[in-house]
Amino acid sequence: MTHALRDISLNVDYGEFLMITGRNGSGKSTLMHIMALLDSPTSGRVYINGEDATQLSDNEKMSLRLKSLGYIFQEYALIQEHTALQNVMLPALMLNSFSDAKRMATSFLKKVDLGHKLNRLPSELSGGEQQRVAIARSLINNPKIIFADEPTANLDSVASKEVLEIFKKLNTEDGITIIIVTHEPEELVYATKVINLMDGKIDEK
Amino acid sequence: MKNNLKLPFYLAAQSIKRGRKWTMVLTIILMAVAFVNLIFVSALFNGIVEGGNQQTIDMMSGDVYVTPKSGSMFIDNKDALINNIKSIDGVSAVTSGYQVPVRIERNSISGGWITLAINPAEYSKVIGIQNKMFTGEYLNENDDNQIILGRQIAGGDGVELDAASLKGAQVGDKVAVTLNGVQKSFTVKGIFYTKFLESDDQAYITQTALKSFISDVSFDNASVIKIKTVASKRNLVLEAVKSVDSSLNVHLWTEAAGITKSASKSFVSINIILTIVGTVVAAATIFIVIYVDIINRRRQIGILRAIGIRPAIITASYVILAIFYVIMGIALGSLLFYFALSPFFKAHPIELPLVDVVLNLSQADYILRIEIVSIAAAVSGLIPAIVVTRTKMIDAIIGR
Repeated sequence: MTHALRDISLNVDYGEFLMITGRNGSGKSTLMHIMALLDSPTSGRVYINGEDATQLSDNEKMSLRLKSLGYIFQEYALIQEHTALQNVMLPALMLNSFSDAKRMATSFLKKVDLGHKLNRLPSELSGGEQQRVAIARSLINNPKIIFADEPTANLDSVASKEVLEIFKKLNTEDGITIIIVTHEPEELVYATKVINLMDGKIDEK
Repeated sequence: MKNNLKLPFYLAAQSIKRGRKWTMVLTIILMAVAFVNLIFVSALFNGIVEGGNQQTIDMMSGDVYVTPKSGSMFIDNKDALINNIKSIDGVSAVTSGYQVPVRIERNSISGGWITLAINPAEYSKVIGIQNKMFTGEYLNENDDNQIILGRQIAGGDGVELDAASLKGAQVGDKVAVTLNGVQKSFTVKGIFYTKFLESDDQAYITQTALKSFISDVSFDNASVIKIKTVASKRNLVLEAVKSVDSSLNVHLWTEAAGITKSASKSFVSINIILTIVGTVVAAATIFIVIYVDIINRRRQIGILRAIGIRPAIITASYVILAIFYVIMGIALGSLLFYFALSPFFKAHPIELPLVDVVLNLSQADYILRIEIVSIAAAVSGLIPAIVVTRTKMIDAIIGR
């Protein structure tokens, strides 16, 4: 049996900006999925806010993800049938009324400079704009931690910089913990902590 | 959770509003075809059964008929009885006749058949032979030397009972009719073809023509009284006629149905079997269509779960979507059936050996089939949505 991750012990403090690097197949995304409770480890534990999240039921994990964690996928993962506003509203609708969710989504889209494209479908937005919609969606329920899996992989350098600046601002101004998987060495300057994964293990070098 | 009830409808509405239009249209068309298949088969077999039943009523017995009391040859005082029957609520028309066995001969070919001596105008208000003239014309009151023959008596090409017929009698032919030891020559005025064997194996003459065979015949008697009623009041009329004279033999049309009755039973059985098969096919079609649609949205379902939308809400949204598809399919199928197929077959009935068939779908059958396809659609939405919401979230999103 092949293990994607082995003997990993990692502590991330609130307010940190962690970047996870490593070659393809090193286990970066798997680690991210497990930390964000999108996947379960075959063994081992994930503690969030001091609580063993691996012991939670599926509904409790879902509730924790909804209220405390935000996740941004490499390929934006927007619902193609929903406008930018509707995509951002979705997680908020689980906790708020339609009118409140709409107001909050509008506010967060303005925060990522998309206030003028609220009613555009994802197919009508550029890659950078789609990723900013995904960021706004991840922020709408005021999470404590944001996970982003190679958020700049499909963006040009200008859009990449804009996205990373948003993450930096969220980290420094709002105190949100940011955990990003990246391939790009030049992006590491944004991080307060960097770990390098190699063959499923943290490379101590 | 604030919007547990609203959110599934919101998600389904967005899918409908912004989903792929052609996929949606094709899905609805497939639903409509599955629904039409289900109601068409039922309507066709109901049409055969109802057509056969109506044929018995219109061409043979009337809705209710009266025969002489046991041990008696005739119904006595028929005029008084007919007046009483006419006053019963639900009775539209009443007629009487003398049913006599005769021998008919043409060109040395002869046979014995039942012949009815009737008042043609009165009889035509209850039994519609005049509308089924194959060749020639129906009788008039003063046609004392004319006879109309059922097609099975006349015989000829394509006639089922040709071997025991007059082998091709035509309008204008002379036939010798023998009754009560008296032989008379009649001219064939018309040949009728109702497609109902028992009816087409009879002949008709006028009551005055009968008098030339039996000089002392009393027209205050009859061997049969036939009653046309409002369809919904048949049983009430039956009971009311029985109460006029409890010794009379009063029958509902079903007792005269003969071969149609057993054929109807067979068609009802076939209808049930084909409905079950059609239901399975419709359910399988609906399931496959919705299953494929949901599986194609696997990634979207994974994303919804990843951003915290509860699986029950996602599942409910797909059940609503499936119900939307089926409602639209039923609406389209119903339009197709009631405004295209049904009028077409009314104008061009399917010609079967026993009856000309038009589509006949009862309200109860229609509603039952709506329920069947709706349940099939709801289950078809539910099962794949549950399956997809139970797969590993990350696998659904990445497409593993």
